[in-house]
Amino acid sequence: MSRDLAGIAALAAALAIVPLAGPSSYVMALFNIVGLYTIVTLGLVLLGASGQVSLGQAAFYGIGAYTSALLARDLGWSPWIAMPCAVALVAAAAYAVGLPALRLADVFFVLATLGVGIIVNVLMVQLDWLTGGASGLRDIPALSIGGRRLATDRDYYYVIWAAVLASLVLARNLAAHRTGRALRAILGSEVGAAALGIDVTRYKMRVFVLSAAYAGAAGALYAHYIHFISPSPFALYASLFFLVMAVVGGLTSIWGGLFGAAAVTVLDQVVRAQLPRIFPRVGGEYQTAIYGVVLVLIMIFFPSGIVRGALDLRRLLRGGRPSAAPPGRPEAESAGGARA
Amino acid sequence: MLDLLPQLVLTGLTIGSIYALVAIGFVIIYNITGILNFAQGEFPMIGAMLCAALLAAHVPLVPAAAAAVAGTCLVGALTERLAIEPAFGAHPLTLIIITFGVSMAFRGFALMLWGADPYSLPEFTPGAPLAVLTGVLGRQAMWAIGLSVVVVGALFAFFARTLPGAAARACADNAFASRLVGISPRRMALFAFTVAAGVGAVGGIVIAPITGATYDMGLELGLKGFVAAVIGGLTNAPAAVLGGYAVGLIESLVTGYLAPGYGSAITFALLLVVLSLQREGLLHQARRRQV
Repeated sequence: MSRDLAGIAALAAALAIVPLAGPSSYVMALFNIVGLYTIVTLGLVLLGASGQVSLGQAAFYGIGAYTSALLARDLGWSPWIAMPCAVALVAAAAYAVGLPALRLADVFFVLATLGVGIIVNVLMVQLDWLTGGASGLRDIPALSIGGRRLATDRDYYYVIWAAVLASLVLARNLAAHRTGRALRAILGSEVGAAALGIDVTRYKMRVFVLSAAYAGAAGALYAHYIHFISPSPFALYASLFFLVMAVVGGLTSIWGGLFGAAAVTVLDQVVRAQLPRIFPRVGGEYQTAIYGVVLVLIMIFFPSGIVRGALDLRRLLRGGRPSAAPPGRPEAESAGGARA
Repeated sequence: MLDLLPQLVLTGLTIGSIYALVAIGFVIIYNITGILNFAQGEFPMIGAMLCAALLAAHVPLVPAAAAAVAGTCLVGALTERLAIEPAFGAHPLTLIIITFGVSMAFRGFALMLWGADPYSLPEFTPGAPLAVLTGVLGRQAMWAIGLSVVVVGALFAFFARTLPGAAARACADNAFASRLVGISPRRMALFAFTVAAGVGAVGGIVIAPITGATYDMGLELGLKGFVAAVIGGLTNAPAAVLGGYAVGLIESLVTGYLAPGYGSAITFALLLVVLSLQREGLLHQARRRQV
């Protein structure tokens, strides 16, 4: 586990070097988006550690963005106060959702989060006295540090990636200590974990609230970085997009969030640039076709993510079947649990 | 206020009949394979788009509709063989994510093939609408309600009276025991996806003259049909059909009386309520499926 801390330190060093290479503002913006998506996806990965999947992540991302934007813009709060308040509100919302939803069996929990995600998105469009409706909120105040207003993509690069590093450290500490052990026990067998004295519902709730708070924090940063928000980036489509990231990265390791967010965002940029050359008359979200196929292939061949999947490839080539474990559960650990 | 009611009820029943067809597809696949197929709403989309494409190529309506249903059945069969069968026996959550992936893929491919503009289909039998109290029921709405009743009736007859239908019921009841008497659960899964796709295609083709057909109509139809199936208890086909009509009615009444635009929010609020009320039963079934 201390390998993870060393990895985070190495990542911090690499990130400090990136701006020195004098990248274009496009590359900086790309890094910033990857950073925000990493935080959101990391939330899903933490949740995946307890065997849960959420399709409401975009809703929490959006609640964080709207709350912080409204507090800072309409009430004139400092963004540095508005953002923690937004995260607290998202955590409270997740708690309220989790109370009934976490009692459902895993498949139906996903559906409940999907329903919540759709309801939240409808409210974003319909409550236009609060949210500005479909046209969204403009002129969201920028962040400032020590009286200096952050303006460029490079300024936000430091803020966003500091948040990513903090999220990684928090997630790593969580995974390495008592909570992480409890979650892995729950993943192995809920009944077994309960028999060991682990309060299954409390731990699941804790990690669900934390995963939503991650999304809320990323959303708040997004609002102050882009200065404009509208309902469309927080629709069901975005939740599926985050799920693709988490699944590509693998739901087993904190590095899955970073890898998945980076791989899918870069793929997205490449596809957006190249597909119009093949289908010139088509506009819109046709790249969903590719994500859909990627999602299906990964879930068939590498249900625990590309990185771990590569390790499992040898077994697969010898004619193995996909594991009967939930996505993210490593096959070796589940051999006993699946029978339970 | 009250004179609006008959019209809203008729509209709700019309759209509800399509939700019912999607919901019954959900139930067929869930009962036989234990999979919640979130690509279910894409089958009406594919049916309607295929039919529109054939009509644009000057094929008459009846052969075009028949070919579109057959084509959608083929797509359903291919979905099962290419996306579901290779992951046979995987965790239910893995399979759900696969069906979401299939749904995204269909939407993207439909956009590439047919573009983003809506297609319209002609009414089957153009003519004056029927006046019912203070509302009107269009000819095509009659087709939608009538066809949904006929299809549902035919499905019940099939499952109750024929040997393949009995095999499917045996497989839904106990897949392991049905293997012992020579029924292949995998062949039954293929069959379930084919039938569910065909039923969905009928719904898509019959509703397209009213709502138009677009590449992204499937997500909404699929989710509404799913809510209908859950309201009906997910394993109970007649209840799922009633659930479809209920969702259509609720949506129509909410849109008409309370607030346009809140229709889906109310539907999914209903889903949350039903899920939390039914959790004992649902939990029990989910457990049973996993064993």
